[in-house]
Amino acid sequence: MSAPYLELRGLGKSYDGRTRALDNVSLTAAKGEFITFLGPSGSGKTTTLMLVAGFESASEGDILIEGRSIGRVPPHKRGIGVVFQNYALFPHRAAAENVAFPLLMRKMPKAQAMAKAAEMLGLVGLERFGGRYPREMSGGQQQRVALARALVFDPALLLLDEPLGALDKNLREQMQIEIKAVQRRLGVTTIFVTHDQSEAMAMSDRIVVFDGGRIQQVGAPLDIYRYPSSSFVARFVGDSNILAARLTDPAGGQAEIAGIGTVRVPALPAARAGDAIELLLRPECLKPGSGLDNAARLTVDVIVHFGDSALVTGHAGGTPLRARLEGLAAQGISAGDTLPLSWATSSSHVIGRDAAG
Amino acid sequence: MRGLLLSLGAVVLAFIAAPLLIVVPMSFSSAASLEFPPPGWTTAYYGAFFGDARWTQPTINSILIALAVAVLTMAMVTPATFALVRHRFAGKSAVNLLLMLPLAVPHIVIAIGYYAYLSDLRLLQTFPGVILAHTALSVPMAFLVLSASLKGFDRSLERAAMSLGASPAATFRHVTLPVLWPGFAAAALFAFIQSFDETVVALFVSGRDSMTLPRKMFDSIRTTADPVIAVVSTLLFFTVAALVILPMLWRSFSRSRS
Ligand SMILES: Nc1ncnc2c1ncn2[C@@H]1O[C@H](COP(=O)(O)OP(=O)(O)O)[C@@H](O)[C@H]1O
Ligand SMILES: [Mg+2]
Repeated sequence: MSAPYLELRGLGKSYDGRTRALDNVSLTAAKGEFITFLGPSGSGKTTTLMLVAGFESASEGDILIEGRSIGRVPPHKRGIGVVFQNYALFPHRAAAENVAFPLLMRKMPKAQAMAKAAEMLGLVGLERFGGRYPREMSGGQQQRVALARALVFDPALLLLDEPLGALDKNLREQMQIEIKAVQRRLGVTTIFVTHDQSEAMAMSDRIVVFDGGRIQQVGAPLDIYRYPSSSFVARFVGDSNILAARLTDPAGGQAEIAGIGTVRVPALPAARAGDAIELLLRPECLKPGSGLDNAARLTVDVIVHFGDSALVTGHAGGTPLRARLEGLAAQGISAGDTLPLSWATSSSHVIGRDAAG
Repeated sequence: MRGLLLSLGAVVLAFIAAPLLIVVPMSFSSAASLEFPPPGWTTAYYGAFFGDARWTQPTINSILIALAVAVLTMAMVTPATFALVRHRFAGKSAVNLLLMLPLAVPHIVIAIGYYAYLSDLRLLQTFPGVILAHTALSVPMAFLVLSASLKGFDRSLERAAMSLGASPAATFRHVTLPVLWPGFAAAALFAFIQSFDETVVALFVSGRDSMTLPRKMFDSIRTTADPVIAVVSTLLFFTVAALVILPMLWRSFSRSRS
């Protein structure tokens, strides 16, 4: 592989000189990649973006684009487009003037800049809104103007900090698709910040999971979902059962779970018998009946129907368990019932161990 | 209850609004000295005011001084406000206190202080002397007004501008200033009006060549109760009222338009 397009090298940041907002963040991105920073509030996502954009300076580490350090380049010379959560549109300028602003700052003649701004507004579906002031537009429209403004000057990088947080659910899903489409079309390398795991799953080439100012895991959405490297990641990304188990035969892939008994797990040749492990079982991997590799009997405490699916919570011999069943399969189940469930060994994952097994 | 409110309203009118407005009919009075009610009506004293350099010169002086005070105040208060609102530094609260000090000291004390101070600098009775003293008085209000509007300013606008390629200077010119201009305008207006109607300090530090309008009025009413004073009062009253009220009207107009 050639040199990465973007590289964050050991970034650290302390605002007050004592507590660390960011610690040893290293990451590379290929040109055109869509990367999402996912993590709870206060985990350092915004801080990382601020360092990349140049609004804050790093306490340690460096940022490189195409191998050149931009750590000491002032923000207005970095050529990085930023979309803020509150849009940050200039209230005294109409939409088209907002979009033309970066071109005018680059000394493009006014007529040419306005023409290019109009073209960009067309790309985000606002061709007839150029004369509107931000206060005359809806949240979704303002967000699109902000996107057009951040893209019109062919930025080296596009940064979006929770850009959809203020929108309602339907609009948010529509904007996810639109942002993704525009990003693909222009091929701009993008970092998108969110604390919403489904948004991260839907949009990203790769997800970077943050917690406590550190990167917890980097990977493709499905890899992160299936093979989380820690119980934090497993819980943060998707719904989960995390079962405490004890290995009885590591190489053969056998373990013992209290209340369920002996189960098969992915083989762990490097582990030792007697080791404590955490087994991740996604609720949708538990199927009704006993047709799969491993079986458990679930005593139902609560069942919630969503139509297309139903979430059953209960316990198996004292071990709490959640199962997501298909809507039709869940018909007729009620609290107090005992359900036979089973799961395929390959759908389970031993947290913190290699996915190779 | 209703009767009580009505009589309270009448008292307010009688003792607050009436003295403010009584100068208006008095300025059209035909009497040879200030008296109310007027025995007859004339506009002759308006002619007397505009035709007499002893009145027009102090008026021009006052306008020039107030303009200079507004400019000087803004030149000092703008960087101070940005520093105090946006940055943390040692001695910040002391600086804050110092800026607000003129508000806490009685005008007469400030007047005496400037009298002694400016005479040492040989600036007594000069334009620069009056301008300096008035600027000191204008700083606290201008600072309060500007810092209130700066605190409400969304800094992500500036960050957006910089990410879009605007240098710090261009960001200030194209984003910060246009967005904050009502705050700047209000602060400058306060400084202007403060200087324009200031009397106590002007009595001490302005002189024959730097005579301000309020000082001229004071001198005049001590010697003769010239009805021209009612004319000046009326003009002053409407000028200042217009300066204060017009921006409010303009704002509500531009809001209803959008
Ligand atoms: N300007 C700042 N001054 C001081 N501390 C800050 C500042 N910005 C963020 N922090 C702290 O840094 C940590 C990371 O914050 P942030 O990067 O905003 O997290 P996120 O965007 O993931 O919610 C938090 O503990 C936060 O309190
Ligand atoms: Mg944040």
